[in-house]
Amino acid sequence: MTDEKAPATDANAIVQELIKYEKLPYEHVELTGEIKVPKIKPDAMIKVHAQQLTSKDTLERLGYPTKGLIPNWKEVFLKTMDKMLKKYKSVRLFMDICVRCGACTDKCHYFIGTGDPRNMPVARAELMRKVYRRYFTWPGKLFGSKMVDGWDLSIDVLALWYTYFYQCSECRRCAVFCPYGIDTAEITMAAREILNSVGLVQKYQHEIIDKAQVIGNNLGMQQNAVVNALEFVRDELREETGIEEIDIPIDIEGADVLFVTPSADFFASPHIESLYGYAKVFHQAGISWTMSTHASEGGNFGMFVHSYDHMKRINKRIWDAARALKVKRVIGGECGHMWRVLSSFSNTLWGPFDYLDSKYPRPQHICEFTLDLLNRGALKIDKTANAEFTATIHDSCQIARGMEMGGQKYGQFEIPRGVIKGVCEKFVDMPENTIKERTFCCGAGQGLLGDDMLPTRVKGAMPRMQAYSYVKKQNGVNFMALICAICKAQLSKMFPTYDIEMEEVGGIHQLVGRAIVLGAKEGI
Amino acid sequence: MGGIHFIINMAIGSLIYLGLTIFLAGFIHKVYNVYYKTPQPLKIPQTPQSTSLGGVILRMAGDVLFFRSLSKGTTLLFYTGWIFHVTFFLLLQRHLRYFITPVPSCVTFLNQAALFIGIVLLIALIILLVRRFIDERTRYITNLSDVFVLFLIMGIVVTGIMMRFEPFRPDIVDVKGFLSELMVPATAFGYMTLHPATAPSSLIFIFHLGLVAFLLMYFPFSKLMHSGGYFFSPTRNMINNPRDVRYVNPWDKG
Repeated sequence: MTDEKAPATDANAIVQELIKYEKLPYEHVELTGEIKVPKIKPDAMIKVHAQQLTSKDTLERLGYPTKGLIPNWKEVFLKTMDKMLKKYKSVRLFMDICVRCGACTDKCHYFIGTGDPRNMPVARAELMRKVYRRYFTWPGKLFGSKMVDGWDLSIDVLALWYTYFYQCSECRRCAVFCPYGIDTAEITMAAREILNSVGLVQKYQHEIIDKAQVIGNNLGMQQNAVVNALEFVRDELREETGIEEIDIPIDIEGADVLFVTPSADFFASPHIESLYGYAKVFHQAGISWTMSTHASEGGNFGMFVHSYDHMKRINKRIWDAARALKVKRVIGGECGHMWRVLSSFSNTLWGPFDYLDSKYPRPQHICEFTLDLLNRGALKIDKTANAEFTATIHDSCQIARGMEMGGQKYGQFEIPRGVIKGVCEKFVDMPENTIKERTFCCGAGQGLLGDDMLPTRVKGAMPRMQAYSYVKKQNGVNFMALICAICKAQLSKMFPTYDIEMEEVGGIHQLVGRAIVLGAKEGI
Repeated sequence: MGGIHFIINMAIGSLIYLGLTIFLAGFIHKVYNVYYKTPQPLKIPQTPQSTSLGGVILRMAGDVLFFRSLSKGTTLLFYTGWIFHVTFFLLLQRHLRYFITPVPSCVTFLNQAALFIGIVLLIALIILLVRRFIDERTRYITNLSDVFVLFLIMGIVVTGIMMRFEPFRPDIVDVKGFLSELMVPATAFGYMTLHPATAPSSLIFIFHLGLVAFLLMYFPFSKLMHSGGYFFSPTRNMINNPRDVRYVNPWDKG
């Protein structure tokens, strides 16, 4: 037994040494308003490693090895990879058809920020393709790694995987420019699951995947804590508005709307401002709504890795709550990946939603809901409340490159803009190559929001910061409206890092909440 | 007939048959068993994706015919890549005149421009090759196979252009005779009994044909499978209506 274990702990020790987390210094670049493609600097970011999950209980619950790299890791690695290739057409196809044309090489915000060539999407994907060609193609099996530009599995390969597949925020920008639509996000998700299966589990994201399943939200707040937090928000809201009837209802059976939102909205800043906004919109629309202590989280970190079952179980809470509370509609708050799971994946995971109102047999986005009210004149708006702001919008990657909103192809761009323009007089878009389908990630999406990732977060935010500083100088923009909890957390930290006021970041419903005139009812 | 001729006849004919077989079997296997049959669990279409089937077909046609996705990024690569593919296709369809009698007019209409197209194709190939060495980012990601396949196609193009000039011009009657003989199934059985078809005596022609046979064999194992693979790319071929129409995961139908 001990004999068997000795070499295994060695392999684990070696890989742990290679991917050890170090607190690294980081510095921001000067904001010129220009996004320049850097010269390549090999290995510029090779020292940035995400922290690993070591809690045995958590790992056990998630079904991953608990003692670091397992002894028979090569075998398990290839077995999991085989499973990924057989279960995901995306992964299988994207392994095969890349021609390495280079169209994506200057499109990733992490590459633009760092110059590390392995942060070029194609080079990141090649980390997996090299293994694929060696072990999963005929020429590789017959002639070995050299003939096919492949790699034999080794500890070094593992370390490179762990390093660079946790420097991808799965934002899908590369896939916009790829002639074949190769989506590096799909490859990253598969790679992360393969790493998990051999015992290299990243901490930030998987801790949350566990909390969301066991406790019910990403922050790990028990039900009574959720109730306390929401009651506190409600009291604040009543005090601020002086209206006693305004409410944040919790677990109300028979309400019309079940509202789910990232738990960060309960007290993080600037997230909470949007929560005020949602409550005001529901109050003013006179629609009965409720939040749920069972589905106290809208986000679903299970999406960030191809661990389908985790994503499915996290998503289940929302639909269980919708059934239990007998609601007619489900509406989601401001969050990027949450919206993708809710709108694109939920129907597959737990559909069909025939128990919802036949007029709204689908999850809706709060922006769809609010814009509809605005267009019908159901909300009284005083735009002067936002007179101090010249707003712009940061299209969140998962929304912008995900799916339709409002049943239209470009609804995900038009609807949030429509809401902003409906409540704020001055609106300016950032340069064309940084918005809409070509939007840049905030730099911390899909599991990279931990403080351990600060060096990449700061560099990855650079393109967005440059674009913002451009319109700030040119058009006097002083507010960046967001519709994603991760973007809010990241950019409210990055703005001060880049010497811009933190208050210039906020949610769209923060603007809505300011402009809405409560009490006076017109329309409907 | 001398021994060397017999060997050449046997070799080139067998190579063509082998190439065609591997190409067809490999291509069909990959496209059907791998690209088509592998399940796609979730809907992952990507903006700007249409909410209707017609729109999706239009988008894919735009990608295939005009490289719309690629055109959003790198200009040089877009123009060169597109010109390469179009000229390659034009010259490929011109080759139908060796297989169809009488030659239809849609094949011959380029007669005058063919040489020019060939040269444009060659220039495009050279640009594609050179940028793999000059552009530092592309150089970083270039594999040996990327350069290899460019050289392979270049070899085919160069020998093809050479055959338009003396003294390399093969006897067109011989060529057509040889190719039409190969198209007869009985010829294939002839090879098994060591009775090959008679190849034209032009060495350049043999070389041209040999490279083509090699390309056919290489095709299903290479990145050239992007030709068939594109049509199965889930970010491009799925309709953007996940909320309206329930997509069922093939391995999780519950």
